[in-house]
Amino acid sequence: MSFDKERFKSPYSFLFGSMNLRTKTLLIISLVGLILFAIVVNSLFINVDNITTNFSIKNSQPSLQHPFGTDWMGRDMFIRTMKGLGLSVIIGAMASILSTMIAIFLALSSTLGKYFDHCVSGVTNLFLSIPHILLIILISISLGGGIIGVVVGVSLTHWIPLTRVLRAEIKQINTSTYVKLSKNFGRTKWWIAKNHLLPLLIPQIVLGTILIFPHAIMHEASVTFLGFGLSPHEPAIGIILSESMKYLSNGAWWLAFFPGLSLLIIVLLFDLIGDNLQRLLDPTQANE
Amino acid sequence: MNKKILVCIVGIITIIGIVAVILGGNEVKRSPDELVVAVGTHGGEPETGFDPILGWNYYGEPLIQSTLFKRDNQMNLNNDLATDYTINTDGLTYQVTIRDDVKFSDNSSLTAKDVAFTYNKLKEVGTSDMDLNSMNSSKAINDSVIEFKLNNPDSTFINKLCYIGIVPETKYNNQTYGKEPIGSGPYKLVQWDKGQQAIFKLNDNYYNKKPEFKKLTMIFLKDDAAFASAKKGEVDIAEVPLSFTKEEVNNMTMTILHSIDTRGISLPYIPDNGTKTSEGHPLGNNVTSDIAIRKALNYGISRQALIDGPLNGHGLKSFDGVPSTLPWYNPDATVEDGKIDEAKQILEDGGWKAGSDGIREKNGLKASFELYYPSNDQDRQTLAVSVSEEAKKLGVEIKPVGKSWDDIENFKNSQTVLWGFGGVDPTVISKLYSSKLIGHIYDNPSGYNNSRVDNYIQSAINNLDINKSYDDWRKVSWDGSAGISPKGDAVWLWLVAMDYSYFVDNSLNISIETVTLQPHGGDIFGNIYDWKRLRQS
Repeated sequence: MSFDKERFKSPYSFLFGSMNLRTKTLLIISLVGLILFAIVVNSLFINVDNITTNFSIKNSQPSLQHPFGTDWMGRDMFIRTMKGLGLSVIIGAMASILSTMIAIFLALSSTLGKYFDHCVSGVTNLFLSIPHILLIILISISLGGGIIGVVVGVSLTHWIPLTRVLRAEIKQINTSTYVKLSKNFGRTKWWIAKNHLLPLLIPQIVLGTILIFPHAIMHEASVTFLGFGLSPHEPAIGIILSESMKYLSNGAWWLAFFPGLSLLIIVLLFDLIGDNLQRLLDPTQANE
Repeated sequence: MNKKILVCIVGIITIIGIVAVILGGNEVKRSPDELVVAVGTHGGEPETGFDPILGWNYYGEPLIQSTLFKRDNQMNLNNDLATDYTINTDGLTYQVTIRDDVKFSDNSSLTAKDVAFTYNKLKEVGTSDMDLNSMNSSKAINDSVIEFKLNNPDSTFINKLCYIGIVPETKYNNQTYGKEPIGSGPYKLVQWDKGQQAIFKLNDNYYNKKPEFKKLTMIFLKDDAAFASAKKGEVDIAEVPLSFTKEEVNNMTMTILHSIDTRGISLPYIPDNGTKTSEGHPLGNNVTSDIAIRKALNYGISRQALIDGPLNGHGLKSFDGVPSTLPWYNPDATVEDGKIDEAKQILEDGGWKAGSDGIREKNGLKASFELYYPSNDQDRQTLAVSVSEEAKKLGVEIKPVGKSWDDIENFKNSQTVLWGFGGVDPTVISKLYSSKLIGHIYDNPSGYNNSRVDNYIQSAINNLDINKSYDDWRKVSWDGSAGISPKGDAVWLWLVAMDYSYFVDNSLNISIETVTLQPHGGDIFGNIYDWKRLRQS
């Protein structure tokens, strides 16, 4: 038992030592959630037009006025990075929600019959066999690029793991006795889906949505890094990173370091929420 | 999650590694008669190979092939393959006599037939870069005389004889020539590693003054990669973006050369009536078709601020897209710019009143439009952003949009585009403003239509003597009461003639005095014949 305790001990126990795990977990989730929310709200208030150039301070090192330094046009990298992160989180959110909706729809429709099930697994396999990034690029180009292209591209490619999880879960639940009983009582498929399946699926859905976030953000950064979607003067984290590559040979390390680090932190924060939520929602861990 | 962290750490280490390698640097020894250059931005890898018929270096030095004439940096016409030429009084027949001692690099003789073949073939293939519309046909009268028949008089035709490298008729195969070119130029291609480098050796058969360098290697590196290779001491010349001019490299000197490659913004001249060009792109813009907007931008935006900021202090102001080094430059076309108050007054008089959000309005129409720039061009990106900030001071909203050229095509006649133009041939002017060419590829993107300007263009083309035609070209910009320049219709917002910046090895003298004019699409090799390696004792 002592081994298990060690394993499931929260790494942040030194902060909230006196609380029980449930409270601690909730606290961590809400704190992290607040940080992410703050980033989004903050970025909404940044007007891109106000990130003006100032060539007299171009390529200057990080300082108190410009904590992340300035770029080759003398623009403040802290504000650009914050704006970029906000965009990333927003795109991540839209992509997660859309992906989850697609996943729920496909998973539920797979219960409608053998034919539907084959269709769903076929589509899932098809999408699994094409590399993510390629698909995102294709979709975003065919939609004419821009933010919409990136959002749709990212959303249409991240529903696959969740669909597979949900479909397996549904299959398992469908074999249980109470579902069979309901069937024998003459309940409709819709009634069973609503009253038996959905309540049991909700933890998976919530968790799945959260865990899509980091993937979606990473992919958004990759696509913009490769130069698809947005104009090169707009602040998206991928664009900032790809631009910084050009100035590494000048010794402008801060252009890559801080935005890269921020992106990493954001992704880790989402992972943190996901892990803690899992601890709350997963029955095998919830009683710890 | 652990895997992700691992990936991130590996990524960071890789980046640090790359930086360390770049900053490390090590000397590579070359023999003195070898030259290694990284000038990928101008004079980079030809997409279609080293084939003049498919577009190889019309405006730069073709190196492998030679041309009939050459122009020096004073715009004097010098013989190259040609020894003499005559133009009939009707301007429809050009006869060019060529040297009879010229051999291709495979030892076969270059005759008039090869010249005639090259021009006929080019006309037949018809690339968009070289307009041979005025030529009807060319034919060899004998081994050393070629006759060009024109459809209509064209004073600029003599310039076409400066651009096109001559290929051997019997050896030409459009499938393979680009990879295995045979020509009569100073160099021959010995190796081409696509995407990496091309290696040239001196052509022993070359008939003129041979360059000092027996071997020339072009590494196809651009911008920061070229800079990195310069830092490592791998190259003798590295072309870098203007933002790198303040950097320092051991044993290399920053050399800035003026070019005649001009940046300007096309301002659609006619309102948007829903019409489309023959290519199917929308034509016209309701905001820029108002002359007050065009004039205000031309007078209000400070070109010097653009030069000082984005271009690191390099470049020359341009008001009509014609740099002062060209003989058809018109000094009267310049105005005093950066006059914010005057520009605001022009807008007020034009009915553009300040709106609540700082953007001017006229009858409910916002003074707002998009400015497209090619997303892979850093200089244009920073120019676009800066122009947009300058215009904001006047209350005009310019939204920069970075796209690929394929995407820009769709907007080129209805929104503004940041172009690069400029050539040693005044034909450029007719392409930019002739009403006959509206919507044709990249010609006359603003849809300008002015019969007075059309007449000057026609009269310049009809003139038999190109040197006398320059006066008419000048009048296109400003004839004292009208023209395309800011004083007249302000059809474009011309900004600056670019400077090109090169790191040049201290042991190399590229003979600044004889550097040829570098047009849009030109390169630095025009005077490679004069380059010298300084002996270090």
